[in-house]
Amino acid sequence: MSVAEVIDNARRQGRTLLTEVESKQVLHEAGIPVAFAVLAADAKAAVQAAENTGFPVVMKVVSRDVAHKSDFGGVRLGLESKEQVAQAFDEIVAAVNAAQPDARIEGVAVQKMAPPGTEVIVGMSKDAQFGPVMMFGLGGVFVEVLKDVAFRIVPLEPKDARDMVREIKGFAVLEGDRGQPAADVSALESLILRVSEFIETHPEVEELDLNPVFAYADGVLAVDARIVLSDKQSAGSVDTRSARSS
Amino acid sequence: MTQLSEAPADLQEGLDRAFNPRTVAVVGDKRAMGYLWLNCMKTFNGNVYSVQLDPNEIPGIEAIGVPNYKSLLDVPDEIDYVVCAVPRPVAPRIIADCIEKKVGSVMLFTSGFAETETEDGIAVQEQITHMAREGGLLLIGPNCMGIYNRRLGVRHSTDQPAGDPGNVGFISQSGTHCINFSLVGALRGVKCSKTVSFGNAVVLDAPDYIEYLANDPETEVIAMYVEGPKDGRRFFDILRRTARRKPVVVWKGGVTAAGSRAVYSHTASLATEPAIWDAAMRQAGVVQTESLDETIDAVNALTSCKPGTGVRMGLIAMTGGQSVVITDAFERAGLEVPLLSPGSYDKLSSFFNIIGGSYRNPLDAGGTVGMGFAPGNLQKLLDILEEDENVDAIAMEVGASFIARRLRENPALLDQMVETLASHKDRSAKPFLAVAHPGHVEDVMADIRARLIARGIAVFGGFQSGAQALRRAIDYWRSRRDLD
Repeated sequence: MSVAEVIDNARRQGRTLLTEVESKQVLHEAGIPVAFAVLAADAKAAVQAAENTGFPVVMKVVSRDVAHKSDFGGVRLGLESKEQVAQAFDEIVAAVNAAQPDARIEGVAVQKMAPPGTEVIVGMSKDAQFGPVMMFGLGGVFVEVLKDVAFRIVPLEPKDARDMVREIKGFAVLEGDRGQPAADVSALESLILRVSEFIETHPEVEELDLNPVFAYADGVLAVDARIVLSDKQSAGSVDTRSARSS
Repeated sequence: MTQLSEAPADLQEGLDRAFNPRTVAVVGDKRAMGYLWLNCMKTFNGNVYSVQLDPNEIPGIEAIGVPNYKSLLDVPDEIDYVVCAVPRPVAPRIIADCIEKKVGSVMLFTSGFAETETEDGIAVQEQITHMAREGGLLLIGPNCMGIYNRRLGVRHSTDQPAGDPGNVGFISQSGTHCINFSLVGALRGVKCSKTVSFGNAVVLDAPDYIEYLANDPETEVIAMYVEGPKDGRRFFDILRRTARRKPVVVWKGGVTAAGSRAVYSHTASLATEPAIWDAAMRQAGVVQTESLDETIDAVNALTSCKPGTGVRMGLIAMTGGQSVVITDAFERAGLEVPLLSPGSYDKLSSFFNIIGGSYRNPLDAGGTVGMGFAPGNLQKLLDILEEDENVDAIAMEVGASFIARRLRENPALLDQMVETLASHKDRSAKPFLAVAHPGHVEDVMADIRARLIARGIAVFGGFQSGAQALRRAIDYWRSRRDLD
């Protein structure tokens, strides 16, 4: 499905949240490297998908009603065999049903387990003043606890992506610290620029999260992705009540 | 009636006429205000007319020597710029007259509009906004101080200098900050070309004025005070485009969480997280400041220091204590104080007085340059730093407090030092700044500062403010360089 088809489809179903599978399809079309996920409706399809993609795989529940997939057994990592995949499918569905009985489950996403890399986060949200703003940071405590993030207004220019990556205090981690190989910073910059382009050409995207993106010595890969559409087709107008001087 | 064209070219043409009027009319000036506006226009060489109905006010106006008329429509001349200081209830009638008279622009000093958050105020504001748009009238304000053009002598404060050109534009919602920038700036060597306080910005908003100053050949640097732009997107876009052509300094009010709440209730601007505002300004490539002082200092470093992108300082101080402190200040501002090249040390060792001094960098040179008054040696030090490939920029303490009395007795000493510094600055390709701290004999320090400033030298009141200002200027020139 094309980007437009995915978005139309979601809108027809009255959804603003794209599923992980849909989000990745859309991003892939925009030239953003993603760890592809295949939606499997049953255990047999999941096994088939795993065999196609190659082991080990990661499986995650796909449901428009489940916001935090990993909170109650909706995600399984490092599945090495057909048997494990089939069993994981049933366990994931059972766990989600138990935790949230009214959740509509479309199936389970199967993707090849990406080799570990340095985790970074690339996101976009809309600011009341400036419109779409991109966020970049290192995964985990860097963003959540230390708030070590950089922002830029869309559209970004190459200089903005360069500055943004280097602006965070944790940049040294990407440069290769304590024996770790240096991350492919230029691939990271080009991912950021592609996301900016994607947002610029799709104003209906209200929020976007690539979390995590794995940064490798050679290349980058968005391992999880989430896209939220605006609930209206047109953007709301800005309050232009007058200013007062002093 | 012709509707106000929103076409950028037409607005800009209208603004050019407003900023460079040949004729000015002041409507509603009065004794209670000390005839502020007519006195402001005393420096204006074009035709000035007064419009005032009140028979009690007319003699006072005529005593100033300005012809008065009972209606704007009676003025026998085309009017480029109208200053309107009438009470709010009269404002719509004056706006109607401005439209009928086809004046170039009107500045509404009148207040009591939407800023009062009253139904009446909002309603009258909407009324005049509608009238101006429909009638094709360029309306500045309301609730503002309007335009200052130094060269033409069109002023909004009677203390503002006039007659000679400036090179710095300033825009501000607030009249206070606009006037203070021009006055305090003038004292410190920052000369305004054109400034505008635009108040409630009902027809023209900050981006319109920024665009005008961006295209104004007289304006080399643009500075501004903003609380919250109405259209952040447009504001960001114009800043980003303008900062690629000339330096832009943005002083944002209401940056803290509490301050941003104040801005919200003040201007109804949508709140933006400080981190996002900061990122937007960096991305736009503008210099950010947090106070009037910082704004003036940054502009000063951008206009009075040669543009430079290197961060390695050569420092000259007059005593050991000041050598330490000047070094800390520049390092803390993110600049470097490296060792000099071997060639420089060879030259320094031949004449530098190391009794009570040292010359690693900083140069603790009080003894060598006689507190600045052995011009031959001062010249040598400056030449050495100028030629040193490890040095990108030079800062010098003018520590004249000690010798204030000596200076009073022999002012020629000061002339020599000023001449040495000024000729160095003119010849050098490296940014140069002087720091002249407030002293216990402040009249002498004020005299020193004024003389240095008159020769176009960037002078700061402290090491920290000087270091920060230079750092901001360097960051700007680097950001311009990195675009290519």
